[in-house]
Amino acid sequence: MSTDHDRIQELLAGYALRALSVEDAAEADHVLDEHVPACEDCRATLAAFDGVTADLALATDPVSPPELLLARLHRDMEPRRSPRAWQAGRIVAVAASVVLIVGVTGLALTRGGGLADAQLAAADINQALAAAQEPDAETQEVGETTEVTQPDGFYLFGEDVPHPATGEVYRLWLLSGDESHYVGEFLPNEAGIVALRVVVDGEFDDVVVSVEPAASEPTSPGSPAWQSPAPAAA
Amino acid sequence: MQDVAVEDVELHRRLVGGDRGAFDELYRRYSGIAFGLARRLTADASLAQDVVHDAYMALWRAPEAYDPTRGAFRTFLLALVHHRAVDVIRREERMRARTEKAANLEPSVDEDVADAVTEESFLVVRRQQVREALGDLSPDQRQVLEMAYFGGRTQVQIAEELQIPLGTVKTRTFAALRKLRAALEETE
Repeated sequence: MSTDHDRIQELLAGYALRALSVEDAAEADHVLDEHVPACEDCRATLAAFDGVTADLALATDPVSPPELLLARLHRDMEPRRSPRAWQAGRIVAVAASVVLIVGVTGLALTRGGGLADAQLAAADINQALAAAQEPDAETQEVGETTEVTQPDGFYLFGEDVPHPATGEVYRLWLLSGDESHYVGEFLPNEAGIVALRVVVDGEFDDVVVSVEPAASEPTSPGSPAWQSPAPAAA
Repeated sequence: MQDVAVEDVELHRRLVGGDRGAFDELYRRYSGIAFGLARRLTADASLAQDVVHDAYMALWRAPEAYDPTRGAFRTFLLALVHHRAVDVIRREERMRARTEKAANLEPSVDEDVADAVTEESFLVVRRQQVREALGDLSPDQRQVLEMAYFGGRTQVQIAEELQIPLGTVKTRTFAALRKLRAALEETE
């Protein structure tokens, strides 16, 4: 095995234990994206290390959780209309020019700042829905492929969006090539509705919503809840 | 043990379909380990309860996050619990106060533990194998492993606390996991 390979697998050991520093974690993310998928040996090593670290839990004696915990879980387990309700495309992104035609008020539109100055703001649900129903509205469900030109921004609207676990939030990112730009974080309201206005001036390839600990630094996208190509400009 | 993994995959398949009975069965199987692990890391029963709650809720809300082709369900669930527990203790910044208690080098024996927990026999067997494999590590290797896994420390923090080079921590960690991998794969 090469020295490089040793170093990569040494990194994977720390990764499996969740013990990497911020710098090493960034390197691990790169390795996981660029090297591991194509390296059978590293894939097997990572899977084995994941298994070993999970089994370390068995070194601790089991403890019966409080009886009320299962009852609490049952109380919190909202019925699922569809197992894939969130992933199956209940999000629509509305091209910004259409939004401007319908005249959204109360939004600070800043221009010329590029992706780094993208802004996230709460949107009026009715206006978002009205914009989506305009004849010229460009809406897309998650997973469709659409080329992007010069978007000025878009709406993000979702129904039945599950609340993330306690202490976690959704974060919105724009991806452009190898770069990711953090826009802001949000939670669905009590009714599971998300209505957001994303103001952005610049090209990007994908919109990603991730689930991340609220207290963590938004340095790179965490576990993606969904990802979609950028909405096309109208 | 293979049968158990197959049963877990079937339970997970039912869970994806919204089957609450499958959820309850997976809770019955693994909540004792999950809670024991979370309590050891957080050294706080209330925080541990939140960790296990959040992990199982994440499982209920997004069961598709587990991919059966990438490993055992148990591995997925316990990693979920461990990651959340580590996030909690790092956020709470109580790590130093807790660590002496939580990251002891001997397997812990809790006061109100154990005998009340009825475990599947395969877990009892696996527990013994894991403890033997840990016992075969060198003290140095075991120390860094347990500080990372049960103490929730980063490798940089471990190097600072032990006053050894970061590279040494990484090397010992890698060697420890390789040795455990070899020992546990033999017994699987």
